[in-house]
Amino acid sequence: MSRQQWIGIGVLALAALAVPQFAGSYWTGLITQILIFGLLALAVDLMLGHAGLMSVCHAAFFSVAAYTTAILQVRHGVPAIVAAPAGLFAGTLLGVIFAMAVRTRGVYFILITLALGYVVWGVEYRWSSFTGGDNGVTNVPRPVLIGLKLDTAEHFYYFVLVVLAIVLAAYRVLVASPFGLTLRGIKASESRMTSLGFATARHLFVAFVISAFLASLAGVLYVYYNRFVNPVSASFPISVEAVLMAIMGGSGTILGPFIGSGVFLGLRNWVSSFIEFHAAVIGIVFIATVLWAPEGVMGFARRVLARRRSGASTR
Amino acid sequence: MTGAVLQAINGISFAALLFLVASGFTLSFGLMRVVNMAHGAYYLIGGYVGLSVVRATGNFWLAIAAGGIAVVLLGFLVDRFLLRHAGDNHLAQTLLTVGLAFVVGDVALHIWGGDSLKLQVPMFLRGATELPGDIVYPTYRLALVLFGVIVAIVLWLVYRKTQLGAVIRAGVDDREMVAATGINVDRLFVLVSALASFLAGMSGVVGGAFLTLHPGAEWEILVYALVVVIVGGLGSLEGAMIGALIVGLLDAFGRWLLPEFSYFVLFAPMAVLLLVRPRGLFGEAH
Repeated sequence: MSRQQWIGIGVLALAALAVPQFAGSYWTGLITQILIFGLLALAVDLMLGHAGLMSVCHAAFFSVAAYTTAILQVRHGVPAIVAAPAGLFAGTLLGVIFAMAVRTRGVYFILITLALGYVVWGVEYRWSSFTGGDNGVTNVPRPVLIGLKLDTAEHFYYFVLVVLAIVLAAYRVLVASPFGLTLRGIKASESRMTSLGFATARHLFVAFVISAFLASLAGVLYVYYNRFVNPVSASFPISVEAVLMAIMGGSGTILGPFIGSGVFLGLRNWVSSFIEFHAAVIGIVFIATVLWAPEGVMGFARRVLARRRSGASTR
Repeated sequence: MTGAVLQAINGISFAALLFLVASGFTLSFGLMRVVNMAHGAYYLIGGYVGLSVVRATGNFWLAIAAGGIAVVLLGFLVDRFLLRHAGDNHLAQTLLTVGLAFVVGDVALHIWGGDSLKLQVPMFLRGATELPGDIVYPTYRLALVLFGVIVAIVLWLVYRKTQLGAVIRAGVDDREMVAATGINVDRLFVLVSALASFLAGMSGVVGGAFLTLHPGAEWEILVYALVVVIVGGLGSLEGAMIGALIVGLLDAFGRWLLPEFSYFVLFAPMAVLLLVRPRGLFGEAH
């Protein structure tokens, strides 16, 4: 990484640490939510931005992880130290099963992941004796970490921040590794990668499972943040909004999905205070993004920077 | 035994509706390579328009025509002003049409409200019919089976036995080549797109008379239609027929035997297919 990038990360980290000092608990809560959904968008973007496959079932991993943690803690009194990893495991295991979708490409992949995700929503919704149906699972306790109870918005925010710092560092190593390069090679031309001797199917399988793991992590954080989970968490809008967030912010980047999540949730929060047509506004945001901002905030920033640089060199 | 027979008829009548919905989706993908995630929203809007027409005039046949034509107009505008910008990019098409479906669903919610609504069918289709073997079954759903079969036969004959069908099939295989032979492909696209829209709107009307129309119904029917085309193979009319039968029957028996897991039953055919034949039964590599 260049010096500039290190400085950027430092500034960002300082700003993130300072948030609770300036924002009240409402805004700290909203920013926590933005970070959690940003992580979900990042999970989706590992497939979309690097491997070139658009998955619309990641809410399923998110939701199954959240349910598993919630049910273990609320109904069986299992401590968070066991319930949270169990949630991660359950979501990732579902990812291993759904990873069979990588046998398909392009439009088939989109359609199949949509249908697979819907099955999970349907089971959560109908199997009410176990999942609580529409009401879901309520009163999930905030976790206690080494004697520190994370029950204020500030404490929980810092907890999410620490988790994200670790995950993002690992994510960066992953996408810069030969594995990440191979994924982008598959996105550019799978037939070429195959003829070069790469086991493309295996790479996509592993990428899908890792991305399901990240979505599960977001799900566990979400259930602790929200203290409640119902089938809406597995629904199609959650999955497809995560895709949109990644694109809005800048697909294929690390910061992009978080920027997209901030723009999207910020916009929704703001609009819902004065417009009745919530879903229609979200729909228009989808359409506007595809038509006018397909490269997202990061793509736009990159273009401006490139223009300035080329302008400087010609002068 | 009677139970199983009853479920089989349930499955077949649901399959008839699924075929109507899925055939439009698969046709427009086959020729124009357009994934239309708003196909379910088309269904819902068609159903709602039909409902209003039935309430105003009491004429069910007029409702079918009105629902279909309303969606043809909507679809034409969407093709012209929205999908044109997406080109052949499936990702852009998906997000655009998902956004469109959100908008349409929300507008429908504000016009027709959030309750589950059902269309009134004509007098002679109400009530039940006695079938051989002491089975009494709703007349409307039997009529739906007949209607589905007629539409399937007509579509199949047009697709396989007429010159128009031959041109469409050629377009599915290689549209540049078709254009090179002097056929106006743009006009062909408008025609097939209108047909797909009409099928969606019309199925909303006939479906709204035995399922209900409600917010969210657009995604339920879309997912069923997607499973049908995944099983049958994208772009294949025959695939939509077989796929609809498989999904309809599985769904009926699933609801009967495992009510809490009825959605899970949909997972099975997809899983088997993915492992054995990822392109679907009749699918070809695109």
